[in-house]
Amino acid sequence: MKRYECLQAIKPLIKDELFVTSAGGATSEWCAVRPSDGNLQVKTLGLCSSIGLGLAVALPRRKVFVFDGDGALWMNFGSLATIGLHQPKNLIHLCWDNREYESSGGEPTVSRSGLINFADAARAAGIQSSRSAESVENLVQAVRHALNNDGPHFIWARIEPGRAEVPPLALDELENKYRFIRYVEQTEGTSILRLPLPASYDHKATKP
Amino acid sequence: MATPERAQQILTGLKEAGIDLVASVPDINLLHLLNALYADKDITHLPVGREEEGIGVCTGAYAGGKRVAMLMQNGGLMNSCNGLTTTALQFGIPILLLIYYAGDMGDNAFHMLGLVTEPVLDGLGIKYTVMRDPAKVKEQIAQALTAAEASKRPVALLLTRAVL
Repeated sequence: MKRYECLQAIKPLIKDELFVTSAGGATSEWCAVRPSDGNLQVKTLGLCSSIGLGLAVALPRRKVFVFDGDGALWMNFGSLATIGLHQPKNLIHLCWDNREYESSGGEPTVSRSGLINFADAARAAGIQSSRSAESVENLVQAVRHALNNDGPHFIWARIEPGRAEVPPLALDELENKYRFIRYVEQTEGTSILRLPLPASYDHKATKP
Repeated sequence: MATPERAQQILTGLKEAGIDLVASVPDINLLHLLNALYADKDITHLPVGREEEGIGVCTGAYAGGKRVAMLMQNGGLMNSCNGLTTTALQFGIPILLLIYYAGDMGDNAFHMLGLVTEPVLDGLGIKYTVMRDPAKVKEQIAQALTAAEASKRPVALLLTRAVL
């Protein structure tokens, strides 16, 4: 199965869930399928799962998706244990496994050996709801299950290599952050981007 | 020797500054502070396995509305450099970095860490204060958080044994 057809198939299930996505095809394809300020792209290889964990803990009533990759997950494999430790019920950690570093030119990852089972690894790390999907239909079922049940959830999506012809995300990290946090503020009814009070507001102005 | 009283003072300083989520990796000199965090009901405490994870956790939690801090040893600062650079600094995330200063003058462990800690913070462009006076702990925590929120960047406090 191809990642792009999977993304198109799960899009109808999505409402206002938040998405933390690893840079590369997972981000560009998802942002083409579902353009939203609720998508945050992560450029640090592997850190999307940790960022998703923090977001899920901060917003426990909101479903948070992480779109990881096999190379990225290999780099931050310990994050599975940390998610297993803290058990965020609202986290849906989906690893798109194409067995290569697609954005780096297609070098093999640990997954190319065929010896690693990411779904078993996640379960062994304490993520009880862990599934693997090798067909679009299986993947849609896994995502529907994750949306309708408490997690944390892990989904190992075994896909073909290859990126759809879609443009890259047209936002830098600052704009992406501001738009994402404003979106969280609006949909949660909270204030996050606090500014310190200017000194002139800090005390009642006294005339000389 | 670190004392529970001084650890409690740091915890109170964090609360008064508005910190409500702390990610952590242990160090023996942070034991009392970590015990206080484990026992505390107001601050969400998230132990992580490696410090760079904590930078990610703090980034996500900030985006979800928390005021965040990462508690670690300076070895963990070294482990976090890419996350600090390509996530925390590139997004512009205010994170209070509470770093035990191993290898500081008079400390007999990890002398190389002591040597490189301040140059690394300078190189990353992370503003920092070395905390040496227990009487100034609360004030320095509040000032660091103001600097972090105003600049939307991580700011570091180097915790020496004198304040722990």
